[in-house]
Amino acid sequence: MTDRPSILVPLRVLEGESVPEGVPELLANAHVVLLGYHVVPEQTAPGQAQMQFEDRATERLDEYQAMFEEAGATVERRLVFTHDGQKTIDRTTTEHDCLAALVPNATGPVEDVLVAVRGTVGVDRLARVVAGLFGATDASVTLYHVSEEAETDEDVATLLDGLADRLEDQGMDASRIETRVGRGQAALDAIVDAADAFDVVVMGESDPSLATFVFGMPADQVADRFLGPVLVVQREPSEETE
Amino acid sequence: MTEQPPDVESAGENVAGETPVAEPEAVTDETTVHDDDVELERTIGLVGGLAIGIGTMIGAGIFVFPGLAANNAGLAATLSFAIGGLIALLVALPTSELATAMPRSGGGYYFISRGMGTAYGAIVGLGLWLGLMFASAFYLVGLGHYASAVFAELGVSLPFSPVIGIGLLFGAALTALSIGGTENTAKIQNVVVGILLVVLTAFLSYGVLDAVGVFGGGTVPEQFFSRGYFPVLTTAALVFTSYLGFAQVATVAGEIKQPGRNLPLAMVGSVLVVTVFYVVTIFVATSAFGADRLGQFGETAMVEVAREFLGLPGAVAILGAGLLATFSSANASILSASRAVYALSRDALLPRKASEVNLRYGTPHVALLAAGGPILVLVATGQVELLAEVASFLHLIMYGLMCVALIVLRRRNPEWYSPSYRVPGYPVVPAVGTLASFGLIAFMQPASIGIGIVVMLVSYLWYRYYAGSVTLKGDI
Repeated sequence: MTDRPSILVPLRVLEGESVPEGVPELLANAHVVLLGYHVVPEQTAPGQAQMQFEDRATERLDEYQAMFEEAGATVERRLVFTHDGQKTIDRTTTEHDCLAALVPNATGPVEDVLVAVRGTVGVDRLARVVAGLFGATDASVTLYHVSEEAETDEDVATLLDGLADRLEDQGMDASRIETRVGRGQAALDAIVDAADAFDVVVMGESDPSLATFVFGMPADQVADRFLGPVLVVQREPSEETE
Repeated sequence: MTEQPPDVESAGENVAGETPVAEPEAVTDETTVHDDDVELERTIGLVGGLAIGIGTMIGAGIFVFPGLAANNAGLAATLSFAIGGLIALLVALPTSELATAMPRSGGGYYFISRGMGTAYGAIVGLGLWLGLMFASAFYLVGLGHYASAVFAELGVSLPFSPVIGIGLLFGAALTALSIGGTENTAKIQNVVVGILLVVLTAFLSYGVLDAVGVFGGGTVPEQFFSRGYFPVLTTAALVFTSYLGFAQVATVAGEIKQPGRNLPLAMVGSVLVVTVFYVVTIFVATSAFGADRLGQFGETAMVEVAREFLGLPGAVAILGAGLLATFSSANASILSASRAVYALSRDALLPRKASEVNLRYGTPHVALLAAGGPILVLVATGQVELLAEVASFLHLIMYGLMCVALIVLRRRNPEWYSPSYRVPGYPVVPAVGTLASFGLIAFMQPASIGIGIVVMLVSYLWYRYYAGSVTLKGDI
């Protein structure tokens, strides 16, 4: 068995976000970093919210922790009061060295996994997440790449086969791995369309660009349109810039 | 990440049976950590810290005081502002050291209660809260003057003076806005401060060039000490209200990222920036008109100065800037006052209820109302100079005691005290800071000193009655 991949599960714990059905089972083989966070407006000192809400939030997190542990995951947890939820998620991801973050949506038993592969960058982490979470299950994994015009079929095949090989190296049965190539559609739409037939989507986090500032991260957009859970594999932590 | 376990123990309970909230286990660059897995995120960067400091300060010194100060001290008012800036700097340096050792919400109150004990802390904490109210009221009256000047500029003549009415209106609106949970207040503050600095830099550059004769004006006519030497000091005491902002940075110390680096930079930086702006402003203003005429213009003298240099567009630009600046100062002070209430109730010196967070908006409505309500009463008095001086008095007491707290802590050197920034020139700088802070009080009007002493006395009696057994001093 491979190492348990660390998966961040962020929940706005005081605003009714809870662990949806099927998610504990989905992450049964993971090391779950359970992040309960509460965003307070700038008028309020985070400590003020802590004084009032800590007990309630802790109670909920106890409950969720028990759910994950029952399913078989190992759990580590944080409760954070913050002005800036995204900063909290990013920091926790880095500090706990999480391979991926989960956008939690309900799911049934996981039988089909869609893995959206973008390029060679981050393939290693993608492989560790997929093999770690689904290696020991019966789920079938479909590696999906939406190719651009300049790409030849050979390029795509090399990319997808390379990932398939890695997964096999990590103990996955080749018969459970399929590859599939999409063409002629914007990557995002293609992924959302393809996702319909699957229980879970695993995809990479893209680089922040101007478009992502305007429209949000592609992963978020997929998560908005796809009703099941999305695992967003995080970029390799870059060297400290500060 | 630097781990600094504050390890200050608190004990005792107040009349209502509440005990101080446990101290955090560790303070890192990004968080304050409680009980191993509960964290408070730090989200304010250096720019945000500077914006709080400069944004609070730039309103008063430039947009309310020039006329009043010139009236009192003549061209030597520039020296008054320089003295104020020097004292602020002497206090900002020790405050920086304390803040890096204890980057927690509450600022001066926190440092003094942990360094010198609960009684001093209670006097300063309640004093800080009330001092911020006086300061906010002062800014709001200033805002009222600017808004009235807008009416005058538009040619609307009102049968009564709208100054206090507008001040009250804005005071109520600001409180309501804060409770209603305006998003992105910090970002707005950053933008406002940026705009102000650009407008002022352009205006002052032009003014200086004019004053030294580049554009033919060449009027630096006055004798420097036209009112004598003594008024320089009384004016310094009056205008010290313009320098209260750096302490507001310390009230949000618990939310500043990389506090060891950003707190000293934000506090010292904002004092230096505004000192330069103030001194140049007074120089330009007195050069334009001479102290006598400037004094007659009162609180909105800067509008006339701008009109003199740049005509109607100049006047309009400064009117707008004045509104923005006084508004942002008042806003920042109300928010700091509610942080002070939080810090006090966390330590059981005020009822826990006082910092309760509103379920709907997520804002501390009790604390904000507790700040906003009395502010309206104070605004209604309309006493610009008195409000400013009482605010200065209460802050100067705190500043002096902060310097003392630093000396006390350095001498006792408790285990938890490990600031990442150390004040240069110890013990001279904090000692001079103490003397200067307390010394400046001597030059205030008796009425301001009287009100200030009453506030301190009431604070102390409240502490004896409500939380006599609470100890916050820790293991020193």
